[in-house]
Amino acid sequence: MAHVSVPMYWRTIPQRYRLVGHKCRKCGNVNFPPKGVCKYCSASSDFEEVQLSGRGKVHTFTLIGAGGAPPEFAEQEKAGGSYPVTIVELEEGPKVIGQMADVNPKDVRIGMPVRAEMRRIYSEEGVIRYGFKFVPATEGA
Amino acid sequence: MRNVAIVGAGQSRYGEFPEKGIKELFLEAYKDMAASVDRNYDPKRIEAAYIGNLGCGGFQLGNMSALVSEYAGLAYIPTMRIENACASGGYALATAAMDVLSGTHEVVLAGGVEKMTDVSNLKTKYWLGVSGDTEYERLAGTTFSGLYALIAQRHMHEFGTKREHLSMVAVKNHKNGAQNPKAQFQRETTLEKAMKAPMVASPLNLFDCCSITDGGSAVLVTTAEKAKEFTDTPIYIEGFGASSDYLAIHDRATTTTLEGTRRAAERAYRMAGVGPKDVQIAEVHDCFTIAELLAYEDLGFCKKGEAGAFIEEGHTEITGDKPVNASGGLKAKGHPIGSTGTGQAYEMFHQLRGTVNKPARQVKGVERGLLHNVGGSGGTVAVTILAR
Amino acid sequence: MALGISGYGVSIPRFRIRKEDYTKAWGSFAAAGVNEKSVTGFDEDMLTLATKVSRRALESVPLPPAQVSRLAFASTSAPYTEKLLSGTILTGLGIPNETFASDHTTSTRAGTEAMIAGFEHLAANPSGRALVAVADAPTASMWDSIEHGMGAGAVAFVLSQDDVLAELEGHASYASEHFGERFRPREEERLHDLNVKKFSEGSFVTNTTKAASALLKKLGRKPEDYAHAVFQQPDARAPASVAGKLGFQDPQLATGMVSAFLGDLGAASAPMGLAAAFDASKTGDRILVVSYGSGAGSDALSFRMVGERRSAVSVAQEAARKEYIDYVQYLKLKGAIK
Repeated sequence: MAHVSVPMYWRTIPQRYRLVGHKCRKCGNVNFPPKGVCKYCSASSDFEEVQLSGRGKVHTFTLIGAGGAPPEFAEQEKAGGSYPVTIVELEEGPKVIGQMADVNPKDVRIGMPVRAEMRRIYSEEGVIRYGFKFVPATEGA
Repeated sequence: MRNVAIVGAGQSRYGEFPEKGIKELFLEAYKDMAASVDRNYDPKRIEAAYIGNLGCGGFQLGNMSALVSEYAGLAYIPTMRIENACASGGYALATAAMDVLSGTHEVVLAGGVEKMTDVSNLKTKYWLGVSGDTEYERLAGTTFSGLYALIAQRHMHEFGTKREHLSMVAVKNHKNGAQNPKAQFQRETTLEKAMKAPMVASPLNLFDCCSITDGGSAVLVTTAEKAKEFTDTPIYIEGFGASSDYLAIHDRATTTTLEGTRRAAERAYRMAGVGPKDVQIAEVHDCFTIAELLAYEDLGFCKKGEAGAFIEEGHTEITGDKPVNASGGLKAKGHPIGSTGTGQAYEMFHQLRGTVNKPARQVKGVERGLLHNVGGSGGTVAVTILAR
Repeated sequence: MALGISGYGVSIPRFRIRKEDYTKAWGSFAAAGVNEKSVTGFDEDMLTLATKVSRRALESVPLPPAQVSRLAFASTSAPYTEKLLSGTILTGLGIPNETFASDHTTSTRAGTEAMIAGFEHLAANPSGRALVAVADAPTASMWDSIEHGMGAGAVAFVLSQDDVLAELEGHASYASEHFGERFRPREEERLHDLNVKKFSEGSFVTNTTKAASALLKKLGRKPEDYAHAVFQQPDARAPASVAGKLGFQDPQLATGMVSAFLGDLGAASAPMGLAAAFDASKTGDRILVVSYGSGAGSDALSFRMVGERRSAVSVAQEAARKEYIDYVQYLKLKGAIK
């Protein structure tokens, strides 16, 4: 198990449920996930919260097979076969890692437009951890 | 710089040993090191020990360095566990060098040990998965294979690196490992086999990934002056450099360069007063085949994006002009996480002295070698330059 | 100002299983009139579906989440039996923490129950905006025939007194004691059904016809006044007896008959049929929707279409986005293989 405690997971809910980013008031870049000090200018801890759209493009990806899956995702891989993991370049600038969903793994391409959506990530100690996964942006609203 | 030198180096056999724990593995490495010192070795002369280790054998989280030191007969010395994931050993070596350079101690042991095969598959995957960014990378469904796969996919996209290039690394390193009696895997493989192995995290297949391993290593570090008491052929630590990087690869400016490698190498080269062209042999961190290709570029052996051509042209074979991983690398030799960095030093010590334990992998007439040790997906990196 | 629905959204998970796959596994398929049904993926549950569909409904108005003044969530298959479920949805959407959020969970009538709760909020808060999210994927033992028709889907509505596309003409309800049909005792995992057929059918017909006829009488309406009539669909044949008794014809039921290609959507059954009727309707059309929950109770609501706006993604479009799985894959996804 990943051993991410309940409070630790809870602290990141604004990012995991809603993709809340931190815009540096000094240099204007968006940090997501947030940092204590802006990772672009390394000069400021003064941020304003910004709601990211969740839209972006696939920067790189991989299809995780049984040998590459951490225990939390072993059952998912056994039930559904290899799943895609991608680093997405979000519209607002930052890149973030996330699993893809609702897509045929064979169709994943660098440059594919995607959109974040809430999914079950895993369960630990009976508590379901929700977070974002990326789905192809062409589907629906 | 010629102020610090290695006068002895040892390594245990790397592999899977149900009968040996971290204490026994460290002892084996330590004894091998003691036996390698040409003369005047006396355990009472060791003044400090820096021991690289990640998982503590799965049981001893605190004070692990005291445990293995006293087991090997080195009680009462200042000892410290160095942890920077897979770069622990390289950092232990750098710490030992800094200790000696500072004048605090004169004879210091730098080593590493890891016991990875004792615990269940589930627990192993836990340990392997917590040196990347646990909060986001782990919970996106990756362990290190996934992260390096993301890097490989982008490298192939940006530079046209091919599937074959990845497998060439595996083939070369297994060929070298077959000539290393201490390697975990001592069988050659073919390009076809390496390319057709089952997929772990695309494009990386089973043959692109190093194994889990038990093992230990130790080197004896001292001042250039004191070195003469032990040997006529000390190996100098000409330079060392280290760096960290953003832990999660998505936080980095680019996914196709390990900035940690670049900066650590820059610092090591600067301290040594040399450049990549002056390095004649290297042991690099091929936890995954793509990692070795990246190392060619980020250490300055070839231009960014040209690693595929570099290996294809044969430069990094034992017979080439820049032999890389003559030991078999992490791929064939094995990767006992805390030990890997000082294990590289063990190989290079013998390569530079011409005393490698099997002539078939001895690279002849080399004077300067480089060690490249990476923690996880590059969160920490240590580079060391050794020279006759 | 007219009280009604100013936006709606639907979401259907993309996996489908056909009745032929059931027949291969069990020799027969028990859900009358159902040809195929939807199945949730490994990482979907009623909270992720409710969040997704709510976002669609809000965007269809458009309404910023910060302006939602009432949230009502309905499902019989939420991932927890005790935990404030609407808290997850509220947080996932960015709805203010001060909002009154309610969970509706213990029967398949919960969807319309949540809608009526939303309308009651607006009656007391005329400038408010209520979000109703219904997501259901009922489950039962793989050995029970009641399981055969169970599908998965989600619908959300934005209710207001402002710029509505469908005006609420009125609603009526009926609740009674009827047991032995589709129940789940507290300590048990399996849905039970004693299959006392005539008795259970009687409950279904009694509760729904009482609610519907009370509404028609209150509004002074006749069946002919309605372009569409939507009924609770444990399968595709159940509505027929109710419709017949009330005087509705087959063509009126056609647009709302979502169970034929989605299965039994539980609390989302009547709401999904209503969304399908919205998709197909034109200004001036009247729509009657009648739900049913075992144990037992029924809500009837009457709508009149007054606006042109429709959901960006129709039920038909969502249903067309599909990938077929076989029975073994179905068992894996449902976690039925232990």
